[in-house]
Amino acid sequence: MDYVLDLGAVTRHFGPLLEGLWVTIQLTLAANAMGLVLGFAVALLVLSPVRLVRLPAVAFVEFFRCTPAIVQIVWFFYCVPMLFNLYLGSMTMGILALGLNLAAFNGEAYRAAIQAVPREQRDAAVALGLSPLQSTLHVILPTALRLAMPVLLTNGIVIFQQSALVAIVAVPDLMYEAKSLATKTYRPIETFTLVALVYFAVSFPVSQVVGWLERRRAVAMA
Amino acid sequence: MFDGTRDQTALVRMEGLHKSYGAVKVLQGLDIEMKRGDRVVVIGPSGGGKSTLLRVLMGLEKVDAGNISFGGRPYITVRNGKTVIDTEVRRSIGMVFQHYTLFPHLSVLQNLVLAPCKVNGEGTASAKARAQALLDRFGLGARAGAYPAQLSGGQKQRVAIARALMLDPKLMLFDEVTSALDPELVAEVEQVMLELAAQAMPMVIVTHDMWFARNIASRVIFCAGGVVVEDGPPEQVLGKPIHERTREFINRVFHIRA
Repeated sequence: MDYVLDLGAVTRHFGPLLEGLWVTIQLTLAANAMGLVLGFAVALLVLSPVRLVRLPAVAFVEFFRCTPAIVQIVWFFYCVPMLFNLYLGSMTMGILALGLNLAAFNGEAYRAAIQAVPREQRDAAVALGLSPLQSTLHVILPTALRLAMPVLLTNGIVIFQQSALVAIVAVPDLMYEAKSLATKTYRPIETFTLVALVYFAVSFPVSQVVGWLERRRAVAMA
Repeated sequence: MFDGTRDQTALVRMEGLHKSYGAVKVLQGLDIEMKRGDRVVVIGPSGGGKSTLLRVLMGLEKVDAGNISFGGRPYITVRNGKTVIDTEVRRSIGMVFQHYTLFPHLSVLQNLVLAPCKVNGEGTASAKARAQALLDRFGLGARAGAYPAQLSGGQKQRVAIARALMLDPKLMLFDEVTSALDPELVAEVEQVMLELAAQAMPMVIVTHDMWFARNIASRVIFCAGGVVVEDGPPEQVLGKPIHERTREFINRVFHIRA
């Protein structure tokens, strides 16, 4: 192989890459804020005993779970403005697409965690005279949120990685800046390797935290 | 709070309780009358309705027909096919379960004060003082700050009993509370229950531990097929049962050939 590595080609252009990383982080944080809040609402709707409330929420979840994220982003970016005459700027559209996707996955995480609280816990709450609301607030949710935490964090970090997809709809994130840099400098190996390392450097510590939380939970629920 | 001890009628009267899960009939016309000071141990084969009986009595399960009164006051009734539960009466009954009894995110002390503070509006300081006194009494005073995961199974069940006692129940229900415990931890839990018995706490106990049943019961009920088959003092039901079905069960439990 006669390719000579030139790391300088990348280090000379750190500025745009850093700006891209900042956009990626903003996308991730905003999508997670949306996913954590909206996801919880989705879970409550999915768990509703009322069919009319439950079915649309289930449809929402299944739509996002059963279509590729890249299709969702492209659809959102091109179809929403045409269908609803609504265009909010590429960044906002990117956040909305990623946030809705995350809301669906987090909704499932919350739902599974709420259902995983042992029936005896609810029974004990009733036997102690707690009202349904009190039992939800003081018994079921505290346990369920702890159970959901590792999955929520994993989903959050997946969205950090998935956010690279918005590069194709011209959101100037880390991946977008990397592509333009690689094209400009003809240095794809240096650029994309560095970018991969950046994604890894952010994701890996979080996945370690998830592992730690799961080990701790295994002890706490025993 | 509703005081079930004031009048002198039966403490609990269950009449014609019917309950099915889909096609499976679990209770098929159960009648039990319990007097004050009765310590009823319910025994019987799996699926015979023992646990369902306790769960119904705690107001955790709906019934298809029948009614329960507590201290002469209607507690559970069926109106137009719907089970109506008087939650004020329900608050005077305490229950301890086999598994996952304590709330894992709360310390021992917090487990004890949650209901008194949230349900009865008791002040935190007073509830904590009572909780600490109860824990001291059960030899758990030093574990007040511990979390359930840090306790042994026997300690968890003793805390669960203390938690139920915080609400001054007029009746305590125990659903196989020692079944999931290591054998060497059973005695410490049974000891606490015997202490409550000595203080004349009315109880309904479901257990497979016949030795314990004989020691704590003032009355043993043999339930099978969703009805009461035999009901009498422990010496009779556990020793010389009258009914053939009871005899078969007792013999099988004690591994004695009939």
